[in-house]
Amino acid sequence: MIAPPEISPSVLAPIGFTAIGAMVILVQDALLTRGSSLLGRRVTPAYAGTLNAFTAMLFLSLALYVTVVAFASGDSLVFQLANPVYQQDRFGSFATALLVVVGILTCALSVSYLSELGINHGAYYALVLASITGAIFLVGAIDLLGVYVGLELMTIPIYVLAGFDRARLRSNEAAIKYFVIGSFATAILLYGMALIYGATGTTSFGAIRDAFDPTSPVAMLGVGLILIGFAFKIASVPFHQWAPDVYEGAPAPITAYMSVAVKAAAFTALLRFVATAIGPETEQLSDVFAAFAVLSMIVGNLMAVIQENVKRMLAYSSIGHAGALLIGLVTGSPGGYAAIAFYLVVYAFMNLGAFGVVIALARRGQECERVDDFAGLARTRPGLAAAMTLFMLSLAGIPGTAGFMAKFNLIVVAIRADMIWLPITLVVTSVISLFYYLRIPVLMTMREPSEPPSRTGIASGEALALCLCAAVVLFLGFFPNHGMLPWLGLELPVLDWASDSVTDLFGS
Amino acid sequence: MNFPTLLFYTFALLVVAGAVGTIANIRNTVAAAMSLVLTMVSLAGIYVLLGAHMIAVFQIMVYGGAIVVLFLFAVMLHGDEHEELPPGRMRLVKAASVLVAICVMAGLVRALVGFPELPAAPVGFGRARQVGIALYSDYVLLVEMVSQVLLAAIVGALVLAKRKID
Repeated sequence: MIAPPEISPSVLAPIGFTAIGAMVILVQDALLTRGSSLLGRRVTPAYAGTLNAFTAMLFLSLALYVTVVAFASGDSLVFQLANPVYQQDRFGSFATALLVVVGILTCALSVSYLSELGINHGAYYALVLASITGAIFLVGAIDLLGVYVGLELMTIPIYVLAGFDRARLRSNEAAIKYFVIGSFATAILLYGMALIYGATGTTSFGAIRDAFDPTSPVAMLGVGLILIGFAFKIASVPFHQWAPDVYEGAPAPITAYMSVAVKAAAFTALLRFVATAIGPETEQLSDVFAAFAVLSMIVGNLMAVIQENVKRMLAYSSIGHAGALLIGLVTGSPGGYAAIAFYLVVYAFMNLGAFGVVIALARRGQECERVDDFAGLARTRPGLAAAMTLFMLSLAGIPGTAGFMAKFNLIVVAIRADMIWLPITLVVTSVISLFYYLRIPVLMTMREPSEPPSRTGIASGEALALCLCAAVVLFLGFFPNHGMLPWLGLELPVLDWASDSVTDLFGS
Repeated sequence: MNFPTLLFYTFALLVVAGAVGTIANIRNTVAAAMSLVLTMVSLAGIYVLLGAHMIAVFQIMVYGGAIVVLFLFAVMLHGDEHEELPPGRMRLVKAASVLVAICVMAGLVRALVGFPELPAAPVGFGRARQVGIALYSDYVLLVEMVSQVLLAAIVGALVLAKRKID
């Protein structure tokens, strides 16, 4: 059985660093915009924005450090024994580390993009940090109240960030759409929580597990409503309609963050809820998840084929990936959950990379988002074209990239669980996805550029983030489990980390 | 009949009167919303009689205040000109609402008849003291997180509403 958690104030370290970081940035931004010079340099908005981004990345790095230490120690810690709402264990730490890295990459990708639009404000980074604080709280929540508060803290800043480019109508539209639909989803989730509380008399996951009765209609209705709420957040069919519009309208770095971090955090919380509160072996749930998975894979990948806008295409592709991820939930086994955790890591880097290229290609006030904008890119911007090709191959799941390992892992787990149709659907839809993923590399190499590129340089933050994403995608593609960093002698068994982390949910 | 019982029937009467006023004022939306306020505030009075002071305060602040204000905002933004539905359609809508009301009523009656005897609420349940102690001992972490939510919401509102961000 799982050892009982111990009390320690250090549980709060990751949340503390990100929350305090958000406040520090707000104060620092106010001081910077008032002062005229710092360290002998005149404070321009771009300079202030860069400093704010550095502060954000500093605090995120501190949070990453304490999370890695917590993961290595392997303890389960809570803040208090009576009604613990937040627990720091290996499962939470694994997801937290991923979220924090995504946050660092998002900040690195944002600086020059925001400067070009003239909206490089401190509030942006403060809101990103606030959102990550909520996401970290969500992945460690072991109580429905914690899930709710974490979810709200994660999404409220994103409502604002989606509309951060206030001069553009599309961005405003994305914000209001995400706000209305997101609030609706949260309300449904909350209603489900109220019903579960009514049926079991508790909000704590462990106590729900003891009192849960799968034959009670109130309890099952509650679980159903909670699942619908989560399905909205991970953009699974049939609760996906908001995703393409919001992904298209929001500023590209926020789209990248949303598609990766929100999905990872919501999936992690869903896994924890299903495994520790209602029991992964519940039959009816597997059927529901299987239906969601098949629908998401088919609808997402088919709709992506007809998109002319890269951000919309990636939105539908992310719906398809959500369907693939759900396969792991259908198995209800530790192996399936570990496959999801690994897939989330891989998906984060390849999707951030793909959006990173879109961001790096954006010109002042004009996004490079039509598929045709990629024509002839191999000649004009060979580095970016190579990176984009790698990320597209990985998203499609071509061997040699991390995306292949993630899908392969999932298929193996599904077949071990005696499932036939879900892996077949995954393979068939992956073949369909080849069409729209490979369209971009083909356009980049085969077609002449329609117009000369107006921007040829690449900001250092973008370059670093893209290099890191590409390196991870290649590294995990060849060494998913036994990778060694040769010059450091550091072993990176990512698959083992994923399977270790889920043992916290199942007990060993 | 002692004083609290008298108060209870007064509030109960006001609750029903407010509810009737809400559906009777079909032409005047503002009057309907104000009748809803009467219902909500009278319900809060009943909570006070039950000793649940904190819940009564929430009832007034959230239902009597925030939600009705939201209604009024929606009415004001929507303006006066509301499209008249064709009479046949209107009758259908009315019939459907009556049907839904009857179903809800039947469901409530069925749930209340033969409802198991509930254990008595703990002493002081729903009072400010008990709610405060619970919030700042068992749920202190959640209170802190909610303060973060409020901070993010304030910053977000400023970002979206300010004419020029400096």
